[in-house]
Amino acid sequence: MTTLTAEGLRKLVGEWMAAGKVCVGPVRVAAGTVLFTRLASAEDLMLDGWLRPANSIKELVLPRHEPLYGYRADRNRIELLDPPEAVPERIAICAHPCDAAALPILDKVFNWDYRDEAYNRRREATTVITLACTASDAECFCTSVGLGPDAERGSDAMLNDNGDGTFAVRTLTDKGRAALGASEARGSRTNPPPARFDAKQVGQYAAEHFDDPFWREHSLACVGCGACAFTCPVCHCFDIVDERNGHDGMRARNWDACQFPLFTLHASGHNPRHTQGDRQRQRIYHKFHMYPEKFGETLCTGCGNCARNCPVGLGVLPLVTEIPHAEPVQA
Amino acid sequence: MQNLYKPDLMEAIGVRQHTSDVKSISLRFQDAERAHQFTFRVGQFGIFSAFGAGESTFNICSSSNWRDHIEFCFRKVGRVTEALWQIEEGDTVGFRGPYGQGYPFEEWRGKDLIFLGGGIAMPPIRCAIWYALENREDYGKITIVYGARTVGDLVFVDELAEWAKHPRVEVIQCVDPGGQTPDWTGEIGFVPTVFERAQVPAGQAVSLVIGPPIMIKNTIPVLERMGAQMSDVYTSLENRMKCGVGKCGRCNAGPVYVCKEGPVFTFRELQAMPLDY
Repeated sequence: MTTLTAEGLRKLVGEWMAAGKVCVGPVRVAAGTVLFTRLASAEDLMLDGWLRPANSIKELVLPRHEPLYGYRADRNRIELLDPPEAVPERIAICAHPCDAAALPILDKVFNWDYRDEAYNRRREATTVITLACTASDAECFCTSVGLGPDAERGSDAMLNDNGDGTFAVRTLTDKGRAALGASEARGSRTNPPPARFDAKQVGQYAAEHFDDPFWREHSLACVGCGACAFTCPVCHCFDIVDERNGHDGMRARNWDACQFPLFTLHASGHNPRHTQGDRQRQRIYHKFHMYPEKFGETLCTGCGNCARNCPVGLGVLPLVTEIPHAEPVQA
Repeated sequence: MQNLYKPDLMEAIGVRQHTSDVKSISLRFQDAERAHQFTFRVGQFGIFSAFGAGESTFNICSSSNWRDHIEFCFRKVGRVTEALWQIEEGDTVGFRGPYGQGYPFEEWRGKDLIFLGGGIAMPPIRCAIWYALENREDYGKITIVYGARTVGDLVFVDELAEWAKHPRVEVIQCVDPGGQTPDWTGEIGFVPTVFERAQVPAGQAVSLVIGPPIMIKNTIPVLERMGAQMSDVYTSLENRMKCGVGKCGRCNAGPVYVCKEGPVFTFRELQAMPLDY
């Protein structure tokens, strides 16, 4: 189908759900809060009235809490128990290009040398139907990191809102065609944010000014809450912890964030990144220098969630737009 | 399908207490086939775990020539090591690995070897010492300088005496001033000072320096004064890790994943990296 009405899309979603597929899309979970979350019914899907959910679809491939395996202890013998392997088929509906692009970027780190099968299973079971953006806000900066409001990267299909209650449908992969049928329609209503900075320069600055007081000066307000990392589509750092219940238990992977002092704390008490400035620098350095150098990708899709969710007005854009004007500050 | 994070189960076949808070544990794979297939390079590390407490990263401190078991050594400082402290013979320990890069012993052939260690840093040196001694004809003179805060903080003490019996091996033990006992016959002083006093020819040698940051910081200038090339001076970084396989992001030091590209680095490599370790 080259065009879908809102009604038609909801009908399809209903069919997918009836077929046992997990459907995830933007849902108003509370007044003023839209999150990507599992749809209870096709009616929950919000096709407009939001700019960007406060979270991202990375939860589909990297859940915030994921049992890696269980164990059962019988005196000093241990038995390991595999978690259920089957991942239900999932369809993300109305992801934005800044969500969809995150998945091929994350594929790199989860598959270099050692393949992370838990990640790959989820990734393979996930279809991404993207909704091109017709609006942007002051925090959006996809065009500064090589993307745009209708960038196709990571999408299995792209919907363009025609503005008349219909969507132009363009299918891009076999998964997309399986969901929506082959279609080549293109919409024209997009609204790209202006280019706001040069990502290469940011990476270079982070590498060349690693110990510059800039980082501490501009991180004084940071409370180290990690909201930037948790709502980021590509921040993927995790912790591995044991959860014990009597003689049984499990080892689980939980989201973690480089903004926490414990993240890098050595057992000796030494901490390589002992100030919040060091930790803010790490976030920028990792995204704009280290990841591009290692994987050829900027670890940022320009979604702006870090700034929108930051309680003190920090985030990638507020920080890096200070860089070209940064005067050296005396330590 | 392979689960990257699922450990091998190993049986503790020996527990040694070295100091009031340091133990080493010998482990054997419960799975006979895995035991037969397992190989590693000295300098590589493993992720060891006590079920119910969690995982921690330690160097595999036994020689790779010892095919029947592996050993690791730890200080009791936190949740996981408190649980490992309770491990007795016959208990089960989890192991993932081997991970990271080992020492490039092939490149070290024909050279003198200098081992400089401080405190709990002995285990990642100990495996290298045994490996060198087991391939004695491949290496020149071996000098070992090992120091700790007090006599009671030295680990693998019985092995220090054993190493000293080998030909062309010099072992110098030292404790920080005030850390000696009345019957202490070793040197008194910090590792860099004691090492400089010994005037070991370092120009053609490979050095392995592992210890607390302050020891490393003060040892490097001594090595430079003795003529060592920074491309021949090695260390093993100890960045905190969780996954061990370049995913969890924790061990990033500047542009590298310490778990994959390290933990072994030369000081020439470290000097080119930002100070993030």
